[in-house]
Amino acid sequence: MSGRGVSDAVHSARRPHRSPRSIAGARAGWLLSAPAILFVGAFVVFPLCFAVYISLTNWPLIGSYHFIGIRNYIYLFQDSTFGQTVLFTLEYTAIVTVPILLVGYGLALLVRANRPGAVIFRTIFFLPYVVGLPTESYMLLLELQPDSGAINFLLSRLGIASQSTAWLIHSNLALIAVSVLVVWFASGLTMVLLMAGMQGIPRELYESTQIDGASWWDQEWNVTIPLLRGTIALSLIISIIGSFLAFTQFYILTQGGPGTSTDTVVMWIYQVGFVQLHLGEATAMSIVLMIVVGLISMVQFISLRAGQEQGT
Amino acid sequence: MMISLLAVSAFANGSKEKSTTATGPNFGVNATGIVHFWARSATSSVARAMVKEFNATHPNLQVKLTETQAGQAVTKLATALRGGSPPDVIGLNDINMPIFTRKAQFMDLTEQVNALSFKSALSPGHLNLAKYQDKYYGVPYLADLSMLFYNKALFRKAGLDPNTPPSTFAEMLSDAQAVQKIAGQDQYGFSFAGNCQGCLGFTMLPDLWAVKDHLIDGPIGNQTANIAGNKALEQLLTVYKDVWQQHLAPQADQTQNGSTWGKDFLAGNIGVFPAGFFVVAGNSKGSTLARSDIGAAPLPGPNGGYSTFDGGDDFAIPVGAQNASGAWEFIKFVLQKQQQLEYPGLGFTPIRTDILDSTFLKEHPFDAVVLRALKNGYAPPTTAYNSLFNQPNGPWFAMFRQAVYQGDVAGAMKTGQSGFVHVLQQSGS
Repeated sequence: MSGRGVSDAVHSARRPHRSPRSIAGARAGWLLSAPAILFVGAFVVFPLCFAVYISLTNWPLIGSYHFIGIRNYIYLFQDSTFGQTVLFTLEYTAIVTVPILLVGYGLALLVRANRPGAVIFRTIFFLPYVVGLPTESYMLLLELQPDSGAINFLLSRLGIASQSTAWLIHSNLALIAVSVLVVWFASGLTMVLLMAGMQGIPRELYESTQIDGASWWDQEWNVTIPLLRGTIALSLIISIIGSFLAFTQFYILTQGGPGTSTDTVVMWIYQVGFVQLHLGEATAMSIVLMIVVGLISMVQFISLRAGQEQGT
Repeated sequence: MMISLLAVSAFANGSKEKSTTATGPNFGVNATGIVHFWARSATSSVARAMVKEFNATHPNLQVKLTETQAGQAVTKLATALRGGSPPDVIGLNDINMPIFTRKAQFMDLTEQVNALSFKSALSPGHLNLAKYQDKYYGVPYLADLSMLFYNKALFRKAGLDPNTPPSTFAEMLSDAQAVQKIAGQDQYGFSFAGNCQGCLGFTMLPDLWAVKDHLIDGPIGNQTANIAGNKALEQLLTVYKDVWQQHLAPQADQTQNGSTWGKDFLAGNIGVFPAGFFVVAGNSKGSTLARSDIGAAPLPGPNGGYSTFDGGDDFAIPVGAQNASGAWEFIKFVLQKQQQLEYPGLGFTPIRTDILDSTFLKEHPFDAVVLRALKNGYAPPTTAYNSLFNQPNGPWFAMFRQAVYQGDVAGAMKTGQSGFVHVLQQSGS
């Protein structure tokens, strides 16, 4: 056998033989995926690449621009307001994430069984999410008005607050009000996600633990929660990303005030881009935010996978 | 989503050759076709009325109105300009004019404006905002002016002359104190929109302009802040601080964001009330206070003088407009006396002082007060106005809060100076 023949044989052994049917199948797959690829390319990849380019310029909303390299990114680390908004966003995320999960879990426990009336309660608990955060923020804006809002009226009757408490002009009170609103808004979605996960757990697992004399809490801790790990992680990812991108509720209720004490990162990006008209700078901040949110999501997914592998 | 929005806003440059100067004897005469007109929703009452009347009388030239929502006009117009599809004419908030004139985004209308027979009667403040490097890039459209109201009934009860409004800072404070002495439940000597930074600028800045004191000095591109050591500003902030600390204003004023601004006054519960013409526009529907008991005056300076905030809109024809000639024909129509006389009924003030006669004074006494003040009206030409005065986290509001609610006028002015300088530098103004 010649050297060339040996080489051909080895090469053929390494490359698996593909049948005409599998080649045709791959081609069909590409063709069917092409519209989605084009769509993502046009509306995600291209804008993203262009945004990266904008972030390397001093692009104003009006007028000509110049390439300035990474100057916008250097300025970010010198911008004390940007730093302050990052810290506030982290604080806000830390405050609302666990309550959203706990309240959502609690609601899911209440409605997971298909008892009479469960559907009505599921609808009621999910309704805040359906109505939407902008509408609810405007409602809260009215109800938080001192001397005329329902919240001060109720709280003053309970002796908790005075009739003229000005919630939205004090940083801490404003943060409390917004946090309560968001927990109320988002726990419905968490409930739906966790409830779907809970309903997928085989009943036989609970029955076998009951036979072994396990309490309700033992069942939750040793059966439900481990098997819900993936869904819980997904709920946390959605909640954390949502908190990092918080804008609507703060824009309507506090406009970032008093001062910049309730300014979130996205609100500051909006201000720099559409009030100060510095698109280049605002885009640089957006890219940094996107990377941070992406990294956090990646860490969460990796932790989830590690947890699942340990479990198996 | 935000990244896509920013990218889309920046993308696309028009490539057609665009006319930047309006010229020719036929410009604005017997134009035909469609004119796309953008107007702010805040001033839509005038826009809708003018468009309706123009379309009824110009069958060959029709105006199509698009209303822009609050806070969106600048972004929307800038995006349209970048995309090569601007409207033919826009009614832009006059304080935003310098943002565009400085970047040569509006047509040069100098020849047309100078040819107007009533040019000398046009609001000088509005016209100044449309001017850049001695050329006019717009013309006044409508006025939304600030003024001082006072309750004549409470004045009489307090032993004050109901026909003598406060004309100095000291009189504003003393009149408020006098009213407070006789005030009943829920009545106060003074009121202000304490959580509305734009409202505060609207009503307080003219008190400084009355003595030609400006917080921003210099031409656009080289502006400086005039806060530190500004005596008139110190006096003004001290007046408001005293009003707050002496409980001459309702506690709820601290959270008044403008949404119910004026309701207290129209209910007859406030003695002295700096605000805007809008308070009495539309015959003050639902007002408990009789119109005969509403006193009005321009906003006073520290020791006399007066001014008003030249709020409102300017007309401008963007570069790249498809029907610039039709746009100017529409603008000329709106500037006619007959149309200007309709403004008070629509809730705004005309921008021509030559319509102020005895008939106007009799029919629109409150509008006549501010129309008379128009010659002393002003609004600062700067590209940083929104960042300085209209943002809740801007230096103006931070200074006001520190001076009035924390009682630290000196510290507030120091903070204000550095805040103003920072914003002016950032905006390149």
